[in-house]
Amino acid sequence: MRGYIVKRLLNMIPIMFVVSIVIFLFIHMIPGDPARLLAGHQATFEEVELLKEQMGLNNSYIVQYKDFMVGMLTGNWGNSLKTGLPVGDMVIPRMKPTLILAIFTIVWSVISGIAIGIISAINRGKWIDYVVMIGASSGISLPLFWLGLMLMQIFSVQLGWFPTTGIDGLKSYVLPSITLGAGITAMIARYTRSSMIEILKENYIRTSRAKGLSEFIVVNRHALRNSLIDVITIVGLQFGFLLAGSVLVETVFAIPGLGRLLIDSILFRDYTVVQTVLLIFTFQFLIINLIVDVLYGVFNPKIKYE
Amino acid sequence: MRKWIALILVMTVLVLTGCSNEDQIALDQSNEPVANSQSSEGNDKSMVIAVNAEIISLDPHNISDTLSRSATNTMYESLLEHNNSMELEECLAERYEISEDGLEYTFYIRQGIEFHDGTALNAEAVKYNFDRVTDEEKNLRRRRNFLQVESTEVIDEYVLKIYLKAPFAPMLDRVASLSIISPKALEEYGDRGIITNPVGTGPYVYKEWVTGDRLVVIKNQNYWRSGPQIETLTIKPILENGARIAMLQTGEADFIYPMPTEQVNIVANDANIEVIEGMSTIARFTFINTSKDFYSDVRVRQAMNYAIDKEAYTNVVRSGYSTPLSSHVPASIKYHVPQPLYEYNLEKAKQLMAEAGYPDGFKTHIWAPNDTENMRGMEFVSQQLAQIGIEAEVIPMEEGTLSNSIYSAQTPEESTVHMWYVSWSAFDFDGATNSLFHSRNIPPTAPNVSYYRNPVADELIDLGSTEVNSIKRAGIYSELQEIIWEDAPWLFLGSDVLLSAKRTTTEGISVGPGGAINSREASTSK
Repeated sequence: MRGYIVKRLLNMIPIMFVVSIVIFLFIHMIPGDPARLLAGHQATFEEVELLKEQMGLNNSYIVQYKDFMVGMLTGNWGNSLKTGLPVGDMVIPRMKPTLILAIFTIVWSVISGIAIGIISAINRGKWIDYVVMIGASSGISLPLFWLGLMLMQIFSVQLGWFPTTGIDGLKSYVLPSITLGAGITAMIARYTRSSMIEILKENYIRTSRAKGLSEFIVVNRHALRNSLIDVITIVGLQFGFLLAGSVLVETVFAIPGLGRLLIDSILFRDYTVVQTVLLIFTFQFLIINLIVDVLYGVFNPKIKYE
Repeated sequence: MRKWIALILVMTVLVLTGCSNEDQIALDQSNEPVANSQSSEGNDKSMVIAVNAEIISLDPHNISDTLSRSATNTMYESLLEHNNSMELEECLAERYEISEDGLEYTFYIRQGIEFHDGTALNAEAVKYNFDRVTDEEKNLRRRRNFLQVESTEVIDEYVLKIYLKAPFAPMLDRVASLSIISPKALEEYGDRGIITNPVGTGPYVYKEWVTGDRLVVIKNQNYWRSGPQIETLTIKPILENGARIAMLQTGEADFIYPMPTEQVNIVANDANIEVIEGMSTIARFTFINTSKDFYSDVRVRQAMNYAIDKEAYTNVVRSGYSTPLSSHVPASIKYHVPQPLYEYNLEKAKQLMAEAGYPDGFKTHIWAPNDTENMRGMEFVSQQLAQIGIEAEVIPMEEGTLSNSIYSAQTPEESTVHMWYVSWSAFDFDGATNSLFHSRNIPPTAPNVSYYRNPVADELIDLGSTEVNSIKRAGIYSELQEIIWEDAPWLFLGSDVLLSAKRTTTEGISVGPGGAINSREASTSK
């Protein structure tokens, strides 16, 4: 197992290298000129040209890419083109809120999603199944923006239970996390349900019932464990997207996170920040994939890694 | 089973890391006088202003956006300042003199003022700032305001002379735009370090800036004139309109700017909230590229202006918060002279189109950024022009792409823009005219996107910018406004009414016509 993890980690190096090239080309090829955007419409041509020179934008792509990679590897990430602040100072404080939000969200939505899925599966075809699944379908299709603002109006403005925006303490994450997790809960519930329904038809389930195990143990120990393989795949994927995709929620609830920073920086063509944030997202995605693969082995001993 | 335990352990660790980070944040916060709904009920008198964009930088010499100016204005001051009626007043300068030929400006600096770090404000310190901003090497954003400055000289401890290369009429307005930074701090922190270590003479002292989250400043105990009645002021970027209003409703914010025009009704019945209207220096218009065939005919451009229902524009696009543009500069700009409006008259418009040889109109397109408000404005224009047969395709573009498409054209022939729905804001007449109408300022040099080239207008623009006598200057600008209005290189649409909103407990915070927030005398009765 350890050898496998080391191998996977080493594999990440060429992947990151290729991704860095793609990111670099992507950000430099979209139209738009950071010098012009920074200088504003009121700027003169000379000012913009001088700014380009100072930002190093007149260098060839190869030189710029080399500077970017050397900076990345030596820990000197450069300065944001937009604010002039060191990229590290802008990016690192933004990681914590995004990570906290993602972890909170994934924890509650996995737990409630699985619970809902099981309830639905064992009550298949009964009214409770319909109610829960209709709820789940709505959860997937609710627009995040709308849900966030509605929750804010009800729980912050009317009831005054939670702060509207910001990251002042634990309470602040409740509404954003509900907003972000609604869809994921629903998706996990649906996957758990269908996977459970399949598994409950299996022979070994009939066997365990026949040998007199209680229904609780049958469902939670024998059936659930097998259906978790499917669920983990979904959770892993969702977690990756959560980190990158919390941008809407971060905007509505004014959370200074990575997602919002990425969007702002793309709009501003803040090359240095965009490159760094995208590389961080890539790295996170790879790590999460690795964790998911390792968890497969944990849940299904038949899957062995050499 | 062992693996189950492992999984539970992993989960617990994850949750705990989440929690401990949480506690960390909560702890950090409790030690700081950061405003939130709980603490603001006490006596610490803190206030929160919620705004719609992020502060870009706190170096006042190197910013070009209004919000960053609002932020730096809490800590920095200039020799002169604009009051809310756009009149110039003395601030760090006690008085000033201008030589007859308009080439020498003498400023007498107020004595006894100290920067937040204890450095004395004197002529030497002001000169240091002028030298910094005019340094070509540094290429700071504000340098463009001081291109006419030849040199500065310290005459005595509190007297500074500025020499110009040529007479430059808006000089005082430009002086008012230069915040004075402590020279000691600049030496100590350098050009980049000063961004996060601001030291000025202003009513508030810097506490912390968490990019994307908040700027916190505290009351300057040694302030030289009447200042804020509160201890802490926090500026928070809340990009989402609904969230900004919710913060005002709960009292988490004491003042918000801008107040979204389409949501005024939502807070109209809230007794704790007051919506404030103010005039602005923002003009909204559409560039008409006069270098394109059909637009080279002045009758077409006039016809288009006659085809726009200005009242409908105000109501549909700005929810009623706009006044029709009666010159190319808004009424809040000095030397503005109202012109006879192009009244909404489709008959006249169609007749002009027929005279110009386009009785059936033509096909064209209009550009603007892809946000809701610009989309609405652009669609409105397109729909109005359709009434006289002009089929204008609406092309929304992301900001970066848009500016690239406009400035990549090296000659008028290469330009692909037909119409650009846009807004402009400037402090003085020259700033609201020169780069938009002078023939030397066509792209890629500057945004004269109408490619307007009228030698008479050019001459008047140049004359106006060098005429120091304000009566003569008014005469020049009056003539210039008439010519530009007649030539109609724009669709003249409206000037914004600025909307902000506050809790009824909030006093002393206002928004100037340029959109900058003034919080010098902030106080609260909450």
